[in-house]
Amino acid sequence: MLSYARVDRWLSRFNGPQTIGHSAPFWGAVLFVIGLGIAVPYIVGGYDLVNFTGFVLMLFLAMGLCFIWGFCGILSLGQGAFLGLGGYTYGVVGINLIEAQGNTDVALIAGLIVPVLLAAVLGYFMFYARLKGVFVAILMLVVTLLFQTFLNQTAGVQWHIGKAYLGGNNGLGRFSAGITELPSLKLGIGDLVYEFVGTSPAFYYLVFGLAAITFLGLRMMVNSRIGYIMVAIREDPDRTEAFGYDVRLIQLLVFCVGALLAAFSGILYVGWGGFIDPSAFGIYNNILPVIWVAVGGRKSLEATVVSTIFLLWLSQRLAIGGEYAFIVLGGILVIVMMLAPEGVMTSMLDYWARWRRRGAASGRRTGDI
Amino acid sequence: MSAVVPSGTSAGSIAPILEIASLSKAFGGVRAIDELDLTLGEGEIRCIIGPNGAGKSTLFQLIIGSVRADSGIIRFRDHNITRLHVFQRAHLGIAIKFQNLGVYQNLTVRHNLLVPLQHHYRSHELEDAIGKMLVQLKLEGTESLLVRDLAHGQKQWLAIGMALAMKPALLLLDEPTAGMSPDETRATGEIVQALNREGVTILVIEHDMAFVRQLRAPVTVLHYGKVFAEGPFREIEGHADVRRIYLGSSRR
Amino acid sequence: MEVLSFIFSLLYQYADSIALLLLSSVGLIIIFGMMGVINMAHGELMMIGAYVTAWSYHAGVPTGFAIIMGGIGAGCVGILIERLIVRRFYGQLLASLVATWGLSLVLSQSFLLLFGPGPKGVPTPFGSFTVGQLSYSYYRLVMLASALAMILGVWALFTFTRFGVQARSTMENPEVARALGINTSAIYALTFGFGSMLAGLAGGIFALTALIEPNFGQSYTVVAFITVVVGGGADFVSGLFASALILAGVKTIIINQVNILLGQVAMMVTALIIIRLMPTGLSGYFERIRLRVGRR
Repeated sequence: MLSYARVDRWLSRFNGPQTIGHSAPFWGAVLFVIGLGIAVPYIVGGYDLVNFTGFVLMLFLAMGLCFIWGFCGILSLGQGAFLGLGGYTYGVVGINLIEAQGNTDVALIAGLIVPVLLAAVLGYFMFYARLKGVFVAILMLVVTLLFQTFLNQTAGVQWHIGKAYLGGNNGLGRFSAGITELPSLKLGIGDLVYEFVGTSPAFYYLVFGLAAITFLGLRMMVNSRIGYIMVAIREDPDRTEAFGYDVRLIQLLVFCVGALLAAFSGILYVGWGGFIDPSAFGIYNNILPVIWVAVGGRKSLEATVVSTIFLLWLSQRLAIGGEYAFIVLGGILVIVMMLAPEGVMTSMLDYWARWRRRGAASGRRTGDI
Repeated sequence: MSAVVPSGTSAGSIAPILEIASLSKAFGGVRAIDELDLTLGEGEIRCIIGPNGAGKSTLFQLIIGSVRADSGIIRFRDHNITRLHVFQRAHLGIAIKFQNLGVYQNLTVRHNLLVPLQHHYRSHELEDAIGKMLVQLKLEGTESLLVRDLAHGQKQWLAIGMALAMKPALLLLDEPTAGMSPDETRATGEIVQALNREGVTILVIEHDMAFVRQLRAPVTVLHYGKVFAEGPFREIEGHADVRRIYLGSSRR
Repeated sequence: MEVLSFIFSLLYQYADSIALLLLSSVGLIIIFGMMGVINMAHGELMMIGAYVTAWSYHAGVPTGFAIIMGGIGAGCVGILIERLIVRRFYGQLLASLVATWGLSLVLSQSFLLLFGPGPKGVPTPFGSFTVGQLSYSYYRLVMLASALAMILGVWALFTFTRFGVQARSTMENPEVARALGINTSAIYALTFGFGSMLAGLAGGIFALTALIEPNFGQSYTVVAFITVVVGGGADFVSGLFASALILAGVKTIIINQVNILLGQVAMMVTALIIIRLMPTGLSGYFERIRLRVGRR
């Protein structure tokens, strides 16, 4: 039976000092948000739903950066490289196999594996060379810009992988003689295949469900042994290695997880809009997650989720009135780094906790909600 | 220039746990360690002293591997560890407590202990081990506190505890009593001796001569990256040359 | 004659690549190399220099002076940036990286919004000459000469002038410098401003050959960082030269054998390999060799 003690024990896997919130009201709020998320297609419809889906699918990119940067200290200015590579791989494999297989299962898997392989190779070079953090960050930026430069000049008909034309800056699948549709997500086996059309509520539920599962999964990971070792590496990599941990290997694995999540956003992006072009590797998919994560609070998955959705919504509103979005976002980043470098949400929670602790006995944990 | 006092160290008759031969390391133009030779016997306690800049901390960094030697050999028991990575040397049984605390300020006390502990204990033994360590380190009740909220003395104890949690064969302590009161210093000395009785070989860098005296252990004096003198503390304490390198003098 | 012509073409391209790397990096050498500050808005400072140069030129100022104005404009913006933002992040590499990257976005997007896709270009001066079948622009050689002159100027400034000595001692040990009566706060601002001015001058020089638009600077930022990091911090001038010679060399050869993109990739892979083998950069490696030889 569902006793309070059993729920509590099961829930304890998701709670810990590395995450915000552990009390009943907190989880109540989480359930409420999930409920709200489930209700969204009934509250908004049509265009707004599709739009919101576009926000939610970016959460993987954001949570990935939060995981590697906030929890392990690995800043990457080039997560867009994995997003783009994931999307392009999914598209290329999908175009080639869709007729034969009738589904995009293999395309999905390929779209996840290829970016992770790239991350493993890059990671090996960077972490086994014990490269300093800033150089890892900049190197990733170089990698993503190289991808963009390369793909921008693949417009000619000779640039194709099987049936998939790279299309240059027109986008994947587009070439002078016509357009090849990028397949939407068709998942299943044999005859039991379901097509998640990008604009449908079904696709929204897929994305939202996966986002919720990913959030909980990451939350569980950071509260487990993996979590505190990652934080130990973030805080003092030399000390942690002196305790017997192969820090280079752990950083490599963490980096691969971040790549996997970014790739996921890329695949969903293609499944959502049916389109991807070299700008996916460009500055925006690289700087935006840094802004979302830094502004919310890089050491908190919860703050990252809230901040990502809010800032995506905000940039859209600003773009309607004129192209102020990026100036405002860049400005917010600079101001947050100067005034609240731990993140707006994280700093606010710290203040609140300290205010609540005034007069209370010492020994209360910070951020106790 | 170097004066080696007739050896009172026991390294000759006991199997050496650490053998360092012709070790050298230069940073830029400065030779931090200069053709240094040192032998440490299994089960010894040894104190490393010397004026600032003599190379003591660099020596520790070379032993644990966070700094690569330019030339020379380091042997631990029967392994040549000169080219091994830090974590590989940790697995062989070398642990260190750094000069800068070495605790994780943003992790709880419990997690701080788990980092070293969980390499050496099975999961079902972990809880017991944590409980025991908390008592030994006089940190009961602080499990869920973030380390940055502890008092300085408590952090020092935790740092030593974390080094011990590795069940080391060789323990390096870099100025373990820095910032401690005389009582805390004495207590630390007792812990060091108790550990040594259990079989842990201990190498200590210290500036506090009272602590060195309390340990009643042989002393190696470093100067300009070389071993300047070695012997029992009483002899070193009264040695005119050793006094001179600390106080400085116009003639060499 | 064919062979000589081909060799000349290769050398010309090589010189051009070297000039590109040196000009992009000379400002960053001061800011990143000496001050240890990551400024991701370095490319935008070059962009500002290019814009001011173009505006000045179209306002009637002679080309040479227009470039100087570009430098001054970027220098002033640099001092402003240092005062308002950068000074809060000394010693914090990742934080200054993120903050200045945000600044870079603000600057490039603001220019896009305020001034549209870009001002009218500035014509390339000095004309061209012919070797064999091909004609070459004199200006590219002038670019290389300017780069060398700028580096020489930087070296002379920091070695012989009072400002240079004060700046070097401030960077080495600000506490001691302050105790000696040096206004370290002003030194930081001026040094950063000087590095920015060099970036602006480089931008102005590039403005005579490239399309001027708001994203002008972005490609230069990463190239500059890579060149400076490969050069290493032990001796900035020799490191920078060595780095530029090697990286430009690899790029030129591969571009000739294959294509431009692979040339860039090869350059980046070379940089990666050098850093992997020599984490302190080329100058750090030279230093170690010099010491080892000196010991014998």
